[in-house]
Amino acid sequence: MSHHFLEVQDLSYTYPDGTEALKGLSFRLEHGEAVGVVGANGAGKSTLLLALAGLVDPSGGIVNVGGTILGKKTVGEVRKRMGFLFQDPDDQLFMPTVFEDVAFGPANQGLSPEEVSNRVRQALEDVGAIGLAERQSHRLSGGQKRSVAIATVLSMLPDILVMDEPSSGLDPKGRRRLIGLLARFTHTRLVATHDLDLVMEVCPRTIVLHEGCLAADGPTRKIFGDQKLLETCHLERPLCMQGECR
Amino acid sequence: MHMADALLSPMVGGTMWAVTAGLTAYSARKLKESPDESRVPLMGVLGAFIFASQMINFSIPATGSSGHLGGGMILAVLLGPYAAFLVLASVLVVQALFFADGGLLALGCNIFNMAFFPCFLAYPFIYRKIAGQKPSQSKIFLAAVLAAVVGLQLGAFSVVVETRVSGISELPFGTFLLLMQPIHLAIGIVEGIVTAAVVLFVWKARPELFAPASGGVAALAGGVPMKKVLAGLALASVLTGGILSWFASSYPDGLEWSMAKTSGSEGLETPEDGLHGALSALQGKLAFLPDYGFRKPGGDEAPPEQPGEAVSWPAVDPGTTLSGLVGGGMTLLLAGLAGLVIKRGSSKRA
Amino acid sequence: MNPSTGRQSGIDPRALWIVTFAFILTVTSFGKYEISRLTPLFLYPVAMTAFYGLPLKELGKRILLVLPFILLVGLFNPVFDRRAVLEAGGFSLSGGWVSFISIVLRSLLAVSSAILLVLVSPFDRLCLGLEKMRVPRVLVTQLQFLHRYLLLLKGEAQRMIRAHHLRCPVNRPKIPMEVASSMIGSLLLRAVDRATRIHWAMLVRGFDGEIRLQRPLSFSWARDGSFAAAWGLFFLLSRFVDLPGILSGWVLAR
Repeated sequence: MSHHFLEVQDLSYTYPDGTEALKGLSFRLEHGEAVGVVGANGAGKSTLLLALAGLVDPSGGIVNVGGTILGKKTVGEVRKRMGFLFQDPDDQLFMPTVFEDVAFGPANQGLSPEEVSNRVRQALEDVGAIGLAERQSHRLSGGQKRSVAIATVLSMLPDILVMDEPSSGLDPKGRRRLIGLLARFTHTRLVATHDLDLVMEVCPRTIVLHEGCLAADGPTRKIFGDQKLLETCHLERPLCMQGECR
Repeated sequence: MHMADALLSPMVGGTMWAVTAGLTAYSARKLKESPDESRVPLMGVLGAFIFASQMINFSIPATGSSGHLGGGMILAVLLGPYAAFLVLASVLVVQALFFADGGLLALGCNIFNMAFFPCFLAYPFIYRKIAGQKPSQSKIFLAAVLAAVVGLQLGAFSVVVETRVSGISELPFGTFLLLMQPIHLAIGIVEGIVTAAVVLFVWKARPELFAPASGGVAALAGGVPMKKVLAGLALASVLTGGILSWFASSYPDGLEWSMAKTSGSEGLETPEDGLHGALSALQGKLAFLPDYGFRKPGGDEAPPEQPGEAVSWPAVDPGTTLSGLVGGGMTLLLAGLAGLVIKRGSSKRA
Repeated sequence: MNPSTGRQSGIDPRALWIVTFAFILTVTSFGKYEISRLTPLFLYPVAMTAFYGLPLKELGKRILLVLPFILLVGLFNPVFDRRAVLEAGGFSLSGGWVSFISIVLRSLLAVSSAILLVLVSPFDRLCLGLEKMRVPRVLVTQLQFLHRYLLLLKGEAQRMIRAHHLRCPVNRPKIPMEVASSMIGSLLLRAVDRATRIHWAMLVRGFDGEIRLQRPLSFSWARDGSFAAAWGLFFLLSRFVDLPGILSGWVLAR
């Protein structure tokens, strides 16, 4: 199943006011890989993810999702294959009930009501939230919202998961549950985050962004062991590597 | 100011509902003509924003009282008249259901009074005319204040007319007007000032939100076709005029009073033919309708003798009233008892 | 059954809407001097509150919030209508007071029936009912989105207000107009930004402009039809038959 790869070649993006957010990024994720994207605020993480989702038009370079080049005509096709998780679950849960939110994606794919129902049930079970189906989205707790948000993406049966700060705002237990989920998934996963310890646990490979450029791309442990690199990119070692935590 | 069910008659309420339903269907159709899927979340969030912004109570200088922003004009500026109308309508629906503001029958009146005037009259004909092309700080202030004042004056006037024609409140037309219009003039000025300040704030921070060419948020702030709005205005004035003259035939006291004050003439000349005559004839035929009260089975009320004659208020028979009070009290007791029984039964089941 | 929120109704929302409107039409159709004839109609809110175990405090709180304004306007009635309609033992009651009491009763009835609606049925289900009754889809979607983001945005406003108050040396300070305008402006910008992000979230899940409402409603003539018919008949009965009069006549005759 080699078509679940994600490749970015020489990707650049400049904001309307002239700021260069991405400068010629190139990397490739193979099927099933889990890769973390780290970097300081403003390094370009979120912009990279928006470009991957086709929400901003790159000023240069290409995005190749499983053989399909991302463009105006193919953006619908690409979005079916790529599940995108945003930073704020309140932005993603916009339907009145959890069921309708998780059903939103499959319904837009033209599936029959029974198929949609099956997808919803399966997705909610995968995230352990099947009991929340009839609840109103805005009355859930932070952790519940996050789980349901993941379900809204899973129900579309994507090949690739792209996530922006998935652990932000979660309490320790919620975060632990999230880490467990992410580790269990077999999708190709790209996780942009400040949570370096999550990257340690979930992503064997890490990409470091610095001022829009690719500063490093390699095994996670090696990257977090490179003190000079971390300092240049305004990062530090994950907590579990500082002192005697593990 | 919200119109309330308690002061409304089904006739007035139903009429205004028909008008509002028509406006709603019209706005929905116009929006369909120029589809923009980014509008769906924007309208929803801006509706919620209206509620949120109304929580910010500010002090009005020199009065010691506080107020909050209505927000209709801002919506119209950002979304254009049709979308703004629907957003305001949705806000009023939620207010009627969750905050019991007004009432469900009065909702038709409220949507007309508080959404139609700002979105379809004040915004296109006042705000856009003054501040539409090449807006400047002073133009925006003038436009916003004028538009808010006119919109609120028309809205307040409608409340007075609707209340008077319903006939539940005893407040004479003139007195009510004298209470409502000055207050809403002040409210309008404040609303206009705050609206202008907010528009300027947003304009300085994110001018692209107002640029029509960008096809973004303000893409729908296109002009309202002149003919259609004039037709709507004409219809509204016919309705208002018809209702006014209908009422004028029955309540010469209040209208005479304000007439005497304004024109120095004592009374209204009532032309027998034309619109007034036709409406009087209609009024005679419709005399069984609820806002004059159904006739009691005992025939206590004097039915109107002939069209054109002023309908007298139902005479209240003291005897009936006393027995009515007794019966009423007992009915209330029975209703309460029934409630207790039902509650016991349903909690057993739960 | 949750004592703080009560039980939710399984009645089809269309029936609920129809009964509510029929109720309000009945209430408002009485003449302005009616008091006793309005009383049987109290059975509706009382029965519904009892049957669904609705929190009385919540109901009462919301009613009390809107009462003052109506009372204010209604109080003009005794001022302008001084004609005595009832005289008993030296005490005379003017028509104005009678119509004032009528106004109070009307408010209680009308307000409670509207509040009932949202306490007894989830809001989005009510919206679904509206959609099935041919209300334009764009308005129904608008209502649902508004409701969804209402609490969130109100929370933002609350935090902003609290931040302001905490920076003022006075307890419970007033917000000046200029400051309020900036606050409202920020709220607005944040709202627009949020709308953009929501739009993105919709796009990546394949949004093409049409919201596909998934939950079907099933109108059962047995359950919902009889609910509507029974209450409708009762309203008609109260409207055209002087029930309290009959009751008092029956009691006083003994």
